[in-house]
Amino acid sequence: MRGASVLFFGLALLLALTSTVPSGGAEKDEDAFFETNIRPVLASSCIECHGPKKASGGLRLDSRDGLYQGGDSGPALEAGNAESSLLVRAIRRKPDAEIKMPPEKPLSKQAVADLTRWIDAGAKWPDSVVRPIASDRHHWAFEPLQTIAVPADPSGWATLTVDRLIARAQQENGVVPVPPASKSALLRRAYFDLIGLPPTPEQVEAFLADSSPSAFARVVDELLSSQRYGERWARHWLDLVRYADTAGDNSDYPIPQAYFYRDYVIDAFNADLPYDRFLHEQLAGDILAQEAPESEYARLVIATGFIAQSKRIGTRELEDMHLIIEDTLSTLGPAILGLSLRCARCHDHKFDPLTMDDYYAMYGFFASTQYPFAGAEELRKQTKFAPLVPPQQVQRLIAARESEVTAIKSQIEAMEKPADSGAASGTVAGIQNTGTADTLKALREKLTRIEKQDPLAEVPTAYAVGELKPVDVAIQINGNPRSLGEKIAQRGPPKILDENQFEIPAGNSGRLELARWLTHKASFLTARVMANRIWQYHFGKPLVSTPSDFGFRGSPPTHPELLDWLASEFISSGWSVKSLHRTIMLSKTYQLSTDGDPQNAAVDSGNKWYWRFDRRRLDAESMRDTILTLGGALDLSRPGPHPFPEPSKWTYTAHHQFNHVSYPSDHRSVYLMVQRLHAHPYLSLFNGADPSLSTPSRDNSTVALQSLYLLNNQFVHQQATDFARRLLTQTDDLAARVKLGYMRVYGRDPELAEVTKCLTFVDKYLRSLEAEGMPADRRDLEVWSGWARALFASNEFFYVD
Amino acid sequence: MTADNSANRRAFLQRATVLAASSGLSVHQRLTYAAAVNGGHPLEPRPGHHPARAKHLILFFFTGGLSHVDTFDYKPKLQQDHGKKLDKHDKPLKGSPWKFQPYGGCGKMVSELFSNVGSVVDQMCFMHTIRGDSAGHSAATLGMLTGSITIPMPSLGSWLSYGLGTLNTNLPPFVVLAAKEPYNAYLAWDASFLPGYHKGTRLFPGANPLPNLTSPVASVTRRELESLMLQDLNAGHFEKHGRELDLKARMTSIDTAYGLMREAPEAFDISQEPQFVLDLYGSDTANPASFAAQCLTARRLVERGVRVVNLFDVGSNSNWDHHGDIAQHAGLARNVDRPIAGLIKDLRQRGLLDDTLIVGCSEFGRTPWEDANPKGRGHYNRNFTCFLAGGGVKGGHSFGESDEYGATAAENPVHTHDLHATILHLMGLDHTQLTYRYSGRDFRLTDIHGNVVQQVFN
Repeated sequence: MRGASVLFFGLALLLALTSTVPSGGAEKDEDAFFETNIRPVLASSCIECHGPKKASGGLRLDSRDGLYQGGDSGPALEAGNAESSLLVRAIRRKPDAEIKMPPEKPLSKQAVADLTRWIDAGAKWPDSVVRPIASDRHHWAFEPLQTIAVPADPSGWATLTVDRLIARAQQENGVVPVPPASKSALLRRAYFDLIGLPPTPEQVEAFLADSSPSAFARVVDELLSSQRYGERWARHWLDLVRYADTAGDNSDYPIPQAYFYRDYVIDAFNADLPYDRFLHEQLAGDILAQEAPESEYARLVIATGFIAQSKRIGTRELEDMHLIIEDTLSTLGPAILGLSLRCARCHDHKFDPLTMDDYYAMYGFFASTQYPFAGAEELRKQTKFAPLVPPQQVQRLIAARESEVTAIKSQIEAMEKPADSGAASGTVAGIQNTGTADTLKALREKLTRIEKQDPLAEVPTAYAVGELKPVDVAIQINGNPRSLGEKIAQRGPPKILDENQFEIPAGNSGRLELARWLTHKASFLTARVMANRIWQYHFGKPLVSTPSDFGFRGSPPTHPELLDWLASEFISSGWSVKSLHRTIMLSKTYQLSTDGDPQNAAVDSGNKWYWRFDRRRLDAESMRDTILTLGGALDLSRPGPHPFPEPSKWTYTAHHQFNHVSYPSDHRSVYLMVQRLHAHPYLSLFNGADPSLSTPSRDNSTVALQSLYLLNNQFVHQQATDFARRLLTQTDDLAARVKLGYMRVYGRDPELAEVTKCLTFVDKYLRSLEAEGMPADRRDLEVWSGWARALFASNEFFYVD
Repeated sequence: MTADNSANRRAFLQRATVLAASSGLSVHQRLTYAAAVNGGHPLEPRPGHHPARAKHLILFFFTGGLSHVDTFDYKPKLQQDHGKKLDKHDKPLKGSPWKFQPYGGCGKMVSELFSNVGSVVDQMCFMHTIRGDSAGHSAATLGMLTGSITIPMPSLGSWLSYGLGTLNTNLPPFVVLAAKEPYNAYLAWDASFLPGYHKGTRLFPGANPLPNLTSPVASVTRRELESLMLQDLNAGHFEKHGRELDLKARMTSIDTAYGLMREAPEAFDISQEPQFVLDLYGSDTANPASFAAQCLTARRLVERGVRVVNLFDVGSNSNWDHHGDIAQHAGLARNVDRPIAGLIKDLRQRGLLDDTLIVGCSEFGRTPWEDANPKGRGHYNRNFTCFLAGGGVKGGHSFGESDEYGATAAENPVHTHDLHATILHLMGLDHTQLTYRYSGRDFRLTDIHGNVVQQVFN
């Protein structure tokens, strides 16, 4: 079984490779032609009647055999001869044809031509594609979690489950694990992995001095309880939910409240909020809040920022709602379930057993949801943001305003009456009337003022969602909301995962039921997807190499049993992410060195079997945060709102977009303002997440422009100078400065030869400065700044072993 | 494309495939890795799917909507019926205020707005029946430059970089020359899900065309010392870490950065061009933000091996979007007319025109009838004109005919997807084969559409 799946994996990659570059192989072209031009037509126009559901006329068109065998009218085709094939006659629908197919809607000219060409070319059904068209429900990811019998490791290397499962695969594949990482390398690895910052020299010294067996476990616990942990790990989630501080409409309106959600995610990771609860809150926090203590209300509503973050379109208030919902589903499906739902918006999924029914069943949950509107070209203000106080309080505020209005109105009425009745004595009445008129005027003005005011103006709001009148929606033909099908898709889960509908209480959108379904009935998939991600963030590569695609076209896991075991552990720990960190980080596998090994490399150059730890580069955020730390400038406090312009000044249009790119900040990079439509120059240069797409794994390309930044950018130069200044004040001894610098930047002591090289540099640099005529008192800072810049640009800084 | 090349390519691919199959990493990570194994660069030039007619693309984008009926799509009937109301439209027809005359051996009718372009029509091919999916600036800009009016997708230049690599790894493969940002800004040249090195690198006109190109350290000696220190650190680390390829790849990228610092200023510096060349482009070249200076820079970049140069003549405001008064087209045309003609002449006299495909387009055209303001014209995406030149394209040719008013295609309609398929084809790529797998699907520039317009090939 594994052999077959590995073979399939290889073939799939081969196909992918050859399709991206000139192949020269006619066979590959044929396969690609089948995949792109034939399979989709069969799937969307034929399988409904000639497939597993009903084989009309005894004919099935969902497999090669079915096609060749034909049905009651004989073979459907004659390979190599389209003209005499029944199928071609049927789809051409000439008046004299005995059968005209499809009965309702003729195929497009292109589709007819493609099928003809395909049959003429031999009607080849690619061998590499073993699965039949979208009907087979047996797929590893859709099966329940297996109970794993964990094998003992005959070599004695592995004792923990993770290691035993890794060891078995290693032994089967003929690789041997390398020795463990040095303590200093392991410490630096753990720090960047869990908090995205380097250890201080004191922390390095303390760990090196601690020889107890639990020393590393203690470090892991300390890091997990640091507030810095949430700032690092929330970023992984924010990548997946394509977090941004602007809306993405054609003017990219700012959302001053967006950061509430970002902070919510950071807090959730720090609190080790169980992952199931985390999903419930993000999908249905507004509903949970109705029953929750008042102190929890705001936090729960804010959590639904997950949904609110959908990219907005166009120039009007919530324009093209179907595309906003599409963006929600294009995030929810891949991020939580590892399933791409997008294809099924316009047609039944070509590769996965997902139908348009499934898509619109999911769509209904969000069509029943009130999204907020951040402003856009034609309505330049926020509407429909979620209040952060409970409805009772909102009611109280509205009622208070109404009673005030009523009181004033009756006062006015009361004052107007005596004026009508007139007074006996003219002079007195005259004086009185003037006084009354003034008071009346004041009262009327007050009334207008109060009536104009929004009673909820002072109530804080969030970019979050609320409930709308629940609806089940009709299928949109070709994804066009103006072309509705007759069929109504009842809100519910994709049928491939669960044939049963769940009960949705009357008047509810059903989002809470959906959230609970994800973590109960679909927990096998939800847990697998998240366990795979956590593994990926620790090791730099996932067990399933397509972390947001667990469908038929995704890759099978390299270690299926390990994945299932991790997923089961995840669930049984109460969905504790921190517990999974411990399980993974305390394994021997995690603690291996990054050393090469020619024999292992000969059979497994890509380290598929984890015979060593993969060296990783610093991501954009860790690098900036570390450079700020080294310069002594990092502000670890949590910043408040971004300094956006006053809402009254929002006049953004497509012609004059909101385009501030970012605001200067010394805070951690997770707190930087990011626009959905304007790339942050630093983050995008160093492969930060794309704020307009869910990012399951970041691009790791190293480009020359990055090196230019490290060599020449003013920020780097400033921090290097500040770093040098700190070295100068700490010690006058040159070798000690080198040692301290190495400790800070690399987390280790330099070797003697390294110290010598650095001191030679210092000497030459000093002489150059002297030759330039720089005053002696300024030279030291220049020298050590230059040295620091070289360290900041070096590979040992850029990579984590 | 030589036989040697394809043999190397095959061997390279075989190694890449073995690597790809043996690890859990993405195909592209493996390809990058494989390139490094072979001592290569992830952007090393790759042969296309078939012999290429052009090696480089220069793409002009006229932001805001260039009016086709006032420039290249001559409609005498529109002039005649000026002021007449058609049943289908509530605004009266509006004839062009500009005179047209025949140019070149082919006698192509061009308006006086583009008299300089008129002088090179024998090298050009006009496509008069282009059609896009949106009449909104932002969406239509993305439609023209990325193929998608809704979901952000990789840009045309990024696809070409991905498909073909580049001919000079000391310069970016895909350069954007834009004094101002167009609608949707960087999304117009983004790599989206393609690896980051395929995204367009925007040059800023003036002293610092590329961010961080110059060192704040003034002394050459000290810069040299720092660079040697860095080399020392990296070399020592490399030796201690098993001479691993990822380390080498980054060391190469640092070398490339130094290469850029050496080569790029010269590549961007048009001041050394002789007067007779400057004259071709008109008098604006002294202003680095001018379209003329950008056209000249584009030629210098193409000469040095850059694969794609995308020029934007104006940004998202004060552009061709002349709802209020179409007469304002004159000022914008003046900025671009001579430089376009100059670039075509310059490339031709250097023998570069055959290798360089030039494409000129807007996100859409403008209505043949009045806008709300009778002096202006509205957005019009149902039929408009793009032009091509050089790189395997028929000169002195027009393809597709619009109806008597330029409102619809009378024959041979060409969707923007078809234009993209045609551009890729000229560059040696099959638009149905140029795919990238993302989120479980093989994506293409042309999505599931696109037909190559063979009729424009020479």
